[in-house]
Amino acid sequence: MIELRAVSRSYGDGKIVNALLEVNLNIPRGERVAVMGPSGSGKSTLLNMVCGLDDPSGGQVLVDGVDIAALSDDARTRLRREKIGMIFQTFNLLSTLTALENVALPLRLQSAPKREAEQQAREMLARVGLSDRSTHKPDQLSGGERQRIAIARALIFKPPILLADEPTGNLDSKTGEEILSLLDDLHREFNTTILLVTHNQEAAWHCDKILRLRDGRIVKEELVDAKAKAAARVEAY
Amino acid sequence: MFAMLAQITWQQWRQHRLRTALTILGIALGVAVFFAVRTANVTLLSSLTTTIEKVAGKTTLQVTGGEAGFPEAIWDIARDTPGVKIAEPAIEVIAHTAFEDEGNLLIIGVDMVGDRELREYQFDEEHSEIGDPLIALAQPDSILIARPFAEKHALKEGDKLPLFTSQGKKEFTVRGIFQPKGMGEVFGGQIAVMDVFNAQFVFGRGKNFDRIDLLNEPGVTVAELQQRLRERLPAGIDVDRPASRGQGLENTISGLNIGMTVSSFIALLVGTFIIFNTFSIAVNQRWKEIGILRALGVERPNVQRMFLGEAVVMGLFGSACGIGLGFGLAVVVERVMSTIADQIFGLVSTRQPMVFNWKYAALSFVLGLVASLLAAWAPARAASMLNPAAALHNIETRQREAVLGRARLVLGVALVVTGLLLVRFSPLRAGLYVQFSYAILIILGMIALLPKLSEWTARALRPVMDRLFGSEGVLAVDAMIQSPRRTSTTVGALMIGLMFVFATGAYVQSYKQVVDRWMRQSINSDLFVTTTEGARSKTWHFNEALSEKIGAMPGVKRLENIRFTFVPYAQDSVAIIALEFDGWFARSTLEIEDADARTAQRLVTSGAGVIAARNFCTRYGLKVGDTIKLATPAEPFERPIVGIIEDYSSEKGTLFMERSLYKRYWNDAAIDIVDINLLPGVDRTAFKQQLTRAIKGEQRAFIYTQEEWRANIMKLLDGFFVMTYMQMLVAIFTAAVGIVNALVISTAERKRELGVLRALGGERRQIRKLILLEAVVIALIGLVMGVLAGMANTYFIVRTASAMIGGYIVPFIVPVKLILLSLPIILVIALAAAWWPARRTMQLKVIEAIGYE
Repeated sequence: MIELRAVSRSYGDGKIVNALLEVNLNIPRGERVAVMGPSGSGKSTLLNMVCGLDDPSGGQVLVDGVDIAALSDDARTRLRREKIGMIFQTFNLLSTLTALENVALPLRLQSAPKREAEQQAREMLARVGLSDRSTHKPDQLSGGERQRIAIARALIFKPPILLADEPTGNLDSKTGEEILSLLDDLHREFNTTILLVTHNQEAAWHCDKILRLRDGRIVKEELVDAKAKAAARVEAY
Repeated sequence: MFAMLAQITWQQWRQHRLRTALTILGIALGVAVFFAVRTANVTLLSSLTTTIEKVAGKTTLQVTGGEAGFPEAIWDIARDTPGVKIAEPAIEVIAHTAFEDEGNLLIIGVDMVGDRELREYQFDEEHSEIGDPLIALAQPDSILIARPFAEKHALKEGDKLPLFTSQGKKEFTVRGIFQPKGMGEVFGGQIAVMDVFNAQFVFGRGKNFDRIDLLNEPGVTVAELQQRLRERLPAGIDVDRPASRGQGLENTISGLNIGMTVSSFIALLVGTFIIFNTFSIAVNQRWKEIGILRALGVERPNVQRMFLGEAVVMGLFGSACGIGLGFGLAVVVERVMSTIADQIFGLVSTRQPMVFNWKYAALSFVLGLVASLLAAWAPARAASMLNPAAALHNIETRQREAVLGRARLVLGVALVVTGLLLVRFSPLRAGLYVQFSYAILIILGMIALLPKLSEWTARALRPVMDRLFGSEGVLAVDAMIQSPRRTSTTVGALMIGLMFVFATGAYVQSYKQVVDRWMRQSINSDLFVTTTEGARSKTWHFNEALSEKIGAMPGVKRLENIRFTFVPYAQDSVAIIALEFDGWFARSTLEIEDADARTAQRLVTSGAGVIAARNFCTRYGLKVGDTIKLATPAEPFERPIVGIIEDYSSEKGTLFMERSLYKRYWNDAAIDIVDINLLPGVDRTAFKQQLTRAIKGEQRAFIYTQEEWRANIMKLLDGFFVMTYMQMLVAIFTAAVGIVNALVISTAERKRELGVLRALGGERRQIRKLILLEAVVIALIGLVMGVLAGMANTYFIVRTASAMIGGYIVPFIVPVKLILLSLPIILVIALAAAWWPARRTMQLKVIEAIGYE
């Protein structure tokens, strides 16, 4: 579903900084991959490459078989809104819109009829357990509730790929675990490919595979076994 | 610490160059209009005064007596007054040549015997064949001309100069050409001199002079001589220095000045809004920076000083630019003003270079600076009061700005209602500044109500925008609702601009409607023969021979000879329309108010009374039965007001009297307009052609059918309102700058929101659409607010300002057509203003935007 072929990304004119260096990666449909590493290791750059917000200096990024760097900005945007859902550490909800409107936004940006978009948004809100918060604005919601809204927004158009950038970074551990459990449930339901950037080991254990990045390279790739996952859940409770 | 804060400010400006430039432009525009109006006014007065002074030569005092002049006996009195060295009579006429271009020529009639002691004529040929050109003037067909005029028409001594006179076309012989110095510079060199007694005859002045130019004896001061003359001369005759006569002309154009002063303040107010807007947003954007500064130990007063310091520097720059810009703009304003002064008020001016008045420059500069400081005060204070801990949080955790407290809402309503009640019930004699304070109350009230009204309007628009434009429409409206501080000031700038447009537009429309109705009732003769294309000529009139010639033409049922002049009244002047009432009553359907119509007709026709215009009575608090006293060159004029009519001939007010009565008291048989009423069945157009042929080449006259004359008056009215239209444009342009400013700020402030939209799949065109729609929303809400504020101020203009300036109370109307017409214009302006910010937003880098705080 996601394939990186010798992807590099460097910044600067004089002193070159390599954010990513010859990264190869293949994530099949439905797999959950956590990307971990210290600050500056290239985690966010990797995410930006996959969603087409940044261009590689070298190599290819294939999303569902499409070389994303070869697309025009508009085509890339369309691909993003059809195939990629995104959730952020800071939620990035639009403060002027209600929870319902925030969730419906991606569909409405695709020119879906308002009624239809809102109906689907209501269903997604119910799915994340926030039916009673549909008319609330983000500043009237807790951090956990905001992230649930953000997840509902990311998944409303049932994208095959979900990119999550530190989704529990701004939440307490209990709320963070609730969010991760919700992601587990949604993954089971939609079979979404998830690429999760995190500093949190417990969060990473919710994935099938963990990639460790350092200085722009994948230095370690490990599978998460069922025991570790179970342990992660037990620890969380 | 100051240096450090200045460094931070400098970096901010460097980073937000466009915002800084737009803010400075906002201040500059306000100051520019203010300074331009004043510079144009000073320059126009200088042009008028220069004309008087250059023509006056060494004259120290001038005796004048209203437009109709005064009898020759006054000359005898002046000459015999002790302390008078020289007393020379003069006549001034703007005549027209019979050359192809019919160019106008200022003709000064002087008494050649003594005139060289008052004025220096530098002739080109020292040893002219005809000897002393001034002596040569004694020959009845003689004329002296200035070199520019001679060169323009290739005239030399001995050539014939054909001129239209009240006696018809006459040929004059050029007896001398004087250099373009002193008097020769006046009127662009389009000036000529002839014998005063000859001028009296050919220009139909009878035995009257326009003025006497005096020179005092060396041992007598000008003030002493002025006093002596005032004691000897009859009432109605003025004695003034030439320069103060020029200054006195300011009264003539006072109505124009008041209007322009008000609108220049409007421009400054709009500029103030822009500054307020910029600083409010700057505080909002630099929330975190302020928090850091506070956390690092910068005290509250220093934070406030930092922002006020920025305002001072921007004010200094903006004001300086504004003065430069205003000086350039003044060229256009002065041109329009001098056209109005010429066409409407009949004033002669000699174009002068723009006068840079340091006093007004300083005043404009200070006003710009004060406006900047006032506008920045509240945002600067808000910045200083910021809680450092809260400020250090990122944007998303901020609470929505509180729109308005109930107290402010109540205050706004109270101010508007109080202003309107004062307009309705306060007496007019309360005075200019007191009356204008009512309008200021209304404006302040609207400003207080603005955020809440904007929010309500935006909420009302939300479902409409949603239905029409989808999520982009909703987000555009939400930007208004969410950030009243940012958007309501822009809406405020637009509101003030549109308020001015709608209020003045409503007034102009209402005024034109009443003038049209009045014209249909009173200006309903078949044809009109006039001396000028303008409202009237002060100096050029017909004589009765022309009228008799027209009257003798077949098809004429009745003629009315009309004299339209101004005479001094109560430290100002009043228009006199002297006409033949028999004819007027036969055709006019104007109602005589406050009196029995038949009695009033009988009294005014017999010369036992006068009819006064309603605006004259409003201005001076007069009613039927009150006596009008006027000083005339002959004897004091005293007649009661026997009736009142609605009339729009002059904003100074008008008195109507029987022409024979006027002729008796003012010794003036001149005619300005001949109204022609045709026999039934005579075709107007055919008669006009016949009349044109009859007087072609003989008399310079303009012939209009009833419809053409009305259209011409409307055209003149439009000419009078040109300044208003220009000011409307400036107000709208300034508001457009406000929109650009707001959108640049808005897009910068919402960078992350826009980035999120892009990340969620919003295409560039959708982001552009969102920004353009935001401009549309601002425009729509500005329009709604402008209509509300405009209506409130229309009420003030039609009831109070109009009555103060012209004595007219015109009906209140809602300018529906203008509002509907302005809707697409405002939308186009808003979209044009938003185009660049929208394009800029399309270049947004999503990764940076999402990380933006």
